[in-house]
Amino acid sequence: MTASGLPYRAGPLVWAANIGATCVVLFLFQKILWLVVPFILALIIYYVLMPLKLQLLLRGVSHDRAAAWVSLLAFGVFLAGAVLAFPAFFGEAIAWQDSAMRYLGGGIRLLAGAMSDLEQRFGFIAQSSAREMLELQLGGFFEHFAEKYLPGLAMGIVAWSPSLMLAPFLAFFMLRDGWRFRRFLLRAVPNAYFERSLYVMDEVDRTARQYFVGLLQLTLLDTVCLAAGLWAIGISGALTLGLVTAVLAWVPYIGSIIGCLLVVLVAATDFPGQPGVAYAAIALFLFVRLLDDFVFMPLTVGKSLKMHPLLTVLMIFVGGAVAGVPGLMLVLPVLGVIMVIGETLGLLLTDTRLRARHVHAKALAERQLTHDLRLD
Amino acid sequence: MKWLGRKHELAGDGHQLASTELFRDLGARELRIVDAFVQERSFLAGEVIFDEGEEGQALYVVASGKVAICLPGRFETPLAELTPGSFFGELGLLDDSPRSAQARALEPVTLIVLSRSDFERLMESHARIASRIALQLARHIGRRLRQMVAASPIGKSLS
Repeated sequence: MTASGLPYRAGPLVWAANIGATCVVLFLFQKILWLVVPFILALIIYYVLMPLKLQLLLRGVSHDRAAAWVSLLAFGVFLAGAVLAFPAFFGEAIAWQDSAMRYLGGGIRLLAGAMSDLEQRFGFIAQSSAREMLELQLGGFFEHFAEKYLPGLAMGIVAWSPSLMLAPFLAFFMLRDGWRFRRFLLRAVPNAYFERSLYVMDEVDRTARQYFVGLLQLTLLDTVCLAAGLWAIGISGALTLGLVTAVLAWVPYIGSIIGCLLVVLVAATDFPGQPGVAYAAIALFLFVRLLDDFVFMPLTVGKSLKMHPLLTVLMIFVGGAVAGVPGLMLVLPVLGVIMVIGETLGLLLTDTRLRARHVHAKALAERQLTHDLRLD
Repeated sequence: MKWLGRKHELAGDGHQLASTELFRDLGARELRIVDAFVQERSFLAGEVIFDEGEEGQALYVVASGKVAICLPGRFETPLAELTPGSFFGELGLLDDSPRSAQARALEPVTLIVLSRSDFERLMESHARIASRIALQLARHIGRRLRQMVAASPIGKSLS
């Protein structure tokens, strides 16, 4: 609401500033990715655990104790999961390379079969010897895959591990001291802007919470749908494959493509010589993606970001251009939060009544502080 | 100077809330729960707390000092003067309407603030607290209605 009593609507200047600020933030985030990634993981943990802490608060437990109890519970669940899952995980780790090569081989065979089919139908493809070239290039890639990429991958995991271990610590302190930080920030706000600041903080919190919780709900829905479909087709490890593919979809576009490739590789390997199953898996994947984009997304993540679909798509491309894969992943939540802040700043800058109230309050404070200094 | 430090914080046991009109029906444990959600705010004499027509984002309880509820430009004298223990700003939170009057500090005031989100969270999640706060709000609004009727020409003719 503005001084004129009409609801405030952000103008083109505010929108341009929001988009510009989003690009700057993404660019800066890319430079401190080692901190941003654990921070985002911590935010996800925080928003998952926050309802539990709130329940304890509403039962009369203090902030500090509620945070400690909830963190202990989460750590206990993680530890129990790790104890149960790790032996099986490491037991099968040795077989992973063989499985990976088997699935890649299955994928190559499917591709070669499809190319051979195309060559039989279209003469110009046979003349260009595309199949031989493709087989040669893919063969070379997979032959040197282990020595070329695995050391880098292992080093990456080693380099990122300490940074990722920050996430639970950050989440604990967010749970324990988040409310203190909020009060600390609000105390710094002048009285005239106090209620607007309350609104901004609540909206930022709401946007971030709905986005991250929505993302988890979306992942769950995607997993269930994909797993059910893959199980119906008869593909092995349907649940794991569904989960991995749903998590990969956190990265817009690229993640979905990699997820689809993964599904096709498994389908081609499980059913050699039956390309129909792989095509059915692709059709299923496309169906779930459409379901995701038009049904699940508006019900979960879309609720947090009240954005025009065209702007959403454009901003995903802008995010990718500015900050690569992290930009693709972060652009929407960052834009959502910046939109709230930008619109409020726009309102504050254009609301002359609030500014006048602030000037009046400063004058009152000055008069109170200097009343015994005057000689008149 | 607010960026450099803080003056005081709530005691944390809810004793300050116990003497207020809105929370006086709550038990010690419930007061502690409410206390986890509120914060303090100080205003100088003459400072505007909120304006008529603004979107209400909080409910205020007077901890110390005096607050005037007024309609500047229409009425010269304040509609009400609120003393420690009384509360205001609840209507904007109840029906999402803009503030119906201006609130101004008549003398240096300390207010206990409950934000809209925390107020709604308390009302939605804690049935016992919600029912007691709702009862106090109903009594408060009923009292105000009776005062208005008594002050109107019909009320005067009836009395």
